Amino acid sequence: MATQQPVQRKQRRNWRKLWGQFLVEASLFFLVLLWTIPTLGIFISSFRTPWDIQTSGWWTVLPHREWQVVEEFPKPENIDPDGVMEIAGVVGTFEAFRQGIETPDGRRIIWIGNKRLGKIQIQELRWTMRTDFTLDNYRAVLGGKTFELKAPDGSTFTVQGDNLIGAFLNSLTVAVPSTVIPILIAAFAAYGFAWMNFPGRRLLFILVVALLVVPLQIALVPILQDYVKLNLNGTFLAVWLAHTGFGLPLATYLLFNYIRSLPRDILESAFIDGASHFTIFTRLVLPLSVPALASFAIFQFLWVWNDYLVALVFIGAKPDVQVLTMRIAEMVGSRGNDWHLLTAGAFVSMVLPLIVFFSLQRYFVRGLLAGSVKG
Amino acid sequence: MYKKTHWWSVLAVLLVAVIVLAACGGGSGEETTEEGTTEAPPTATTAPAKGEGGGEMAGGEGSYYERALAGEFKGTVVTMTGPFTDEDAVKFNESVREFEDATGIDIQYEGSKEFEATISIRVEAGDAPDIVDFPQPGLLGTFVKQGKVVDVRAFLSEEYLRQQYNQSWLDMATLEGPDGPVMAGVWHRFNAKSLVWYPKDDFEAAGYEIPTTWDELIALSDQIKADGDTPWCIGIESGAATGWPATDWMEDIMLRTTSLENYDKWVRGELPFSSPEVKHAAELMAQIWFTEGYVYGGRAAIATTFFGDAPAPMFEEPPKCWLHRQGNFITSFFPEGVQAGVDYDFFYFPPIDEAYGKPWLVAGDIMAMFNDRPEVRAVMEYFTRGEALKGWLAAGGALSPHKDAQIDWYGDPVERRIAELVQDATAFRFDGSDLMPGEVGAGSFWKAMTDWVSGTVDLDTALAEIDQSWPR
Repeated sequence: MATQQPVQRKQRRNWRKLWGQFLVEASLFFLVLLWTIPTLGIFISSFRTPWDIQTSGWWTVLPHREWQVVEEFPKPENIDPDGVMEIAGVVGTFEAFRQGIETPDGRRIIWIGNKRLGKIQIQELRWTMRTDFTLDNYRAVLGGKTFELKAPDGSTFTVQGDNLIGAFLNSLTVAVPSTVIPILIAAFAAYGFAWMNFPGRRLLFILVVALLVVPLQIALVPILQDYVKLNLNGTFLAVWLAHTGFGLPLATYLLFNYIRSLPRDILESAFIDGASHFTIFTRLVLPLSVPALASFAIFQFLWVWNDYLVALVFIGAKPDVQVLTMRIAEMVGSRGNDWHLLTAGAFVSMVLPLIVFFSLQRYFVRGLLAGSVKG
Repeated sequence: MYKKTHWWSVLAVLLVAVIVLAACGGGSGEETTEEGTTEAPPTATTAPAKGEGGGEMAGGEGSYYERALAGEFKGTVVTMTGPFTDEDAVKFNESVREFEDATGIDIQYEGSKEFEATISIRVEAGDAPDIVDFPQPGLLGTFVKQGKVVDVRAFLSEEYLRQQYNQSWLDMATLEGPDGPVMAGVWHRFNAKSLVWYPKDDFEAAGYEIPTTWDELIALSDQIKADGDTPWCIGIESGAATGWPATDWMEDIMLRTTSLENYDKWVRGELPFSSPEVKHAAELMAQIWFTEGYVYGGRAAIATTFFGDAPAPMFEEPPKCWLHRQGNFITSFFPEGVQAGVDYDFFYFPPIDEAYGKPWLVAGDIMAMFNDRPEVRAVMEYFTRGEALKGWLAAGGALSPHKDAQIDWYGDPVERRIAELVQDATAFRFDGSDLMPGEVGAGSFWKAMTDWVSGTVDLDTALAEIDQSWPR
């Protein structure tokens, strides 16, 4: 007895632990599923033709049971659709036939169309899945659409639309400097705010934090006015500077919190050894802040990559400079008639951010905690 | 203990700032200022010196267009902004290519989906392009009021304009400026909206007849309903612009139930939405939209169906709905492979009250000039000629408002017929919601219609809401 009891308790504890673990994992799995289903739907839709998307749901690509036509014939001549009719041994009204009347042997007699043009189908429930996929959406997105136009003399000619490659490169040209420049400046600033004493430090820092709440939209017109005067408008430099300015407050604040929490002892011993602020910053602070730098880099990169407004205002929508978000928005056509290309476009534009995210991901979780726990 | 070296870091930060500033300063050296481009008076141009004829008509020989063809403006660039993207941009570029080759003027069209939002920012910041293409004269009106748009009568005589356009078009281009009315632009392409599309092959097989009056239209709808189908496909979802197809219906019915004067007053805000005329139009619309069994998917589906998807059930075999009222641009949403004149066709949205004839509801693109330079004038004059659209008419997707455009230029038989019908129209009016102030025409009118259709508010409340939102 005395030895059995602890064993039992231990077993029970193990059980409870397993059960708890199971609950956690099951709910996590459920949440992940919930979050990924829309993405999955978009992914599947990106391989379907517009007509298929319009007429059936993406889930019909999965095996499911569906009524399928076994036999089809025109509506019998001698019946009166306004009364009660007998078709294929089944009796019913037009409304009932339109809904479909099921027979005991598992078949369904259904009237397709209206009373004038109707035809009768005999259907059976069968397992099926829709597998008519197409790569046309990706072809149009990656290679550009081909427009077949008629010339005034009646002949036809084709025009190849812009493809995504140019826009992809433009986005990259915008995003990389717009990520690096603010990080560089913010790291210097954060170090200064965290470890240097100078008059007005607190005031300046409050100013930077206050800028966090200023929406960038209100700055668009004045900045554009200045750019026009400086003849900077429409250049990549313009959009780099804009993104740098808009990104700096958050970058400075985030990095400040991290750099501030670095152990004081290390920095002090460096000073005693005669290191200057610059040496300390480059040799000590920068290497130690890699997690925070990386996590902010992800934030800023994703933000710039997905940005539409700032790029539109400062570099415009000309085909040779337009960024990916603009290209994709335009791809749907003037009135949105090519909406089916959006799904494929979304996946193409997602590729690079995903690469960035996964390659910097191990810093991301650490970086998010940046400055949240102070010693 | 850091005191000794802390200036180092300050310097480092300053250094970075200086580098950044130097980078922007580098660009500023070349051309210091371009101020005032938006409100440039005709004489104060930054035009290239060569071939400058003084800016007035007398300067060169012939009109600016002729001078351009003579090669006087070779090598110049005219920038444009507007809503043409994708296929429209391709068609536009193709149709102006001949002019570009002949004159050496490079027309750079910058199309954007968010054109309406950015043009205000750009004009405000003094970065207006030379010519802006407005699909909504209401928006243009705000710039005209600020005096930022060049009056085209500065270089095109009224007589010439009358020779190129119907008086209605010129009236619609005349907007109120700070010192009296301004001819704010010239019309480019337009589209006709008073059209009902139907699946021709099935329609004929079923033995239906094309209605020529409102009563016949209702009778046809009842007939289709009695035959077991839903007559109408209607969808008004369009993202942030949800509700606009409903406003088109209202305008079309207004034109058919009340006088043109009343329509104009309504558009100007002098006839309130709560007036009996407007309410009557809404009630007629409700007769089709809300009658049980008239609309595919029922009333509830109208507000959630994308306007471009709405006609799709018409092309199922057999059709699930039979009638769809929409402008000629809807054909670009029709499924691939369907043929005009075989699988689908259109009829004129029938008149309601005989007294008001056969009016047409139209919408179109007006080209307005923001920077006055000789080559821009030449391009503007070019847009007043049918040739500017010749390529586009052949490719399909546009109608020409120019008197000198030939019917046989149209490549699409359906569009050719529309063009013929519009030529014979007793009257036409521009899409009212595009003329109303932005708060109403691109705001409360859409929203109130959507709320009414989805059943959130009743008609009186919806109309009163629109009246309240009218800027006074």
